Amino acid sequence: MCESCGCGIDHERQTTRTIDVYESLLAANTKQAGENRRSFETLGAVAVNMISGPGAGKTTLLEHTIEHLGNELRLGVIEGDIETERDAARIRKKGAPVVQITTGGACHLDARLVHKGLHRLRHESGMDRFDLIFIENVGNLVCPATFDLGEHQRVVLVSVPEGSDKPAKYPKAFLSSQRFLITKTDLLPHFDFSIDEARREALKLNPAIRITELSATAGGQGFEDWLLYLRQLLRTAAAA
Amino acid sequence: MHEFSLAQGLFTQLFRLAEQHRAEKIIIVRVEIGQFAGIVIDSFSFAFEILARERKLTREAVLEITEIKPLCGCLDCGHTVPADDSVPAVCAQCGSSRLTLSAADDLILTQVEME
Repeated sequence: MCESCGCGIDHERQTTRTIDVYESLLAANTKQAGENRRSFETLGAVAVNMISGPGAGKTTLLEHTIEHLGNELRLGVIEGDIETERDAARIRKKGAPVVQITTGGACHLDARLVHKGLHRLRHESGMDRFDLIFIENVGNLVCPATFDLGEHQRVVLVSVPEGSDKPAKYPKAFLSSQRFLITKTDLLPHFDFSIDEARREALKLNPAIRITELSATAGGQGFEDWLLYLRQLLRTAAAA
Repeated sequence: MHEFSLAQGLFTQLFRLAEQHRAEKIIIVRVEIGQFAGIVIDSFSFAFEILARERKLTREAVLEITEIKPLCGCLDCGHTVPADDSVPAVCAQCGSSRLTLSAADDLILTQVEME
């Protein structure tokens, strides 16, 4: 009943109303990510989210990492791809428990997909303790950077053939990562890649980011530094 | 490319709000998008237009986007300035080059006008 004119129409329902909301549309993902983080911790695991464009060498780096740490640590891998089980098959061959999430077109993993992936990883491996769980994101330097998956560390990779302008062009991935790996450094003689530019641009965006130059296939100091970084992550987590 | 799924999330929210407030028509939808949210504004607007047409409730809805600029903070003295189109090379207050960009990485539904 309208009180001002007594016309019997509920003007309240007809007039324009402005509703203040102020809710994050990314909040649902962030909430699930927090739950994932706790799940990883319950399993004793440190989770590492690997982000790069397609072909930067994420899977190759993981293959070599499993070769070197597989006997020493309990590793697990959650693979994200738009289509195919190919990456999971490569990891499985190296002897680490792995699940493949195919997003069926989506350009990134989100926290809900990772939650499901983690359930499958536990169920299919029969393991209830892990030291390190790698999440290999969909090959894309843009969209994955927006979505927290519940990881403890985010690692961004750029390979030498891609070019040293990537940090400046894709700032979000570098802003949100703790580690930046310059991969395929064995190819430096063949490409016009400036290590100095890549380092400078990444540090300009994120002064706290740590940078490692490595070649997973050639091995050497950079690759050893990567393994050392992973071992240190576990020590830090154990001390916490 | 993920703008479409984020826009779908927005509509889920709008339907819920309309039901809650017994609205028959959504007129204006206001959102804030951080410059570092990783969201392409044109793509998000396009997804909004497509999804809005699907229901009578939202057919005439207009999307208003405010872009939020990040803040540039000094790690040494804490001095913070809005980072407009470029990031300063050194801190205006203490001269340190250890600057970091913060915030502006969210997508927020701020206000909805409905009737």
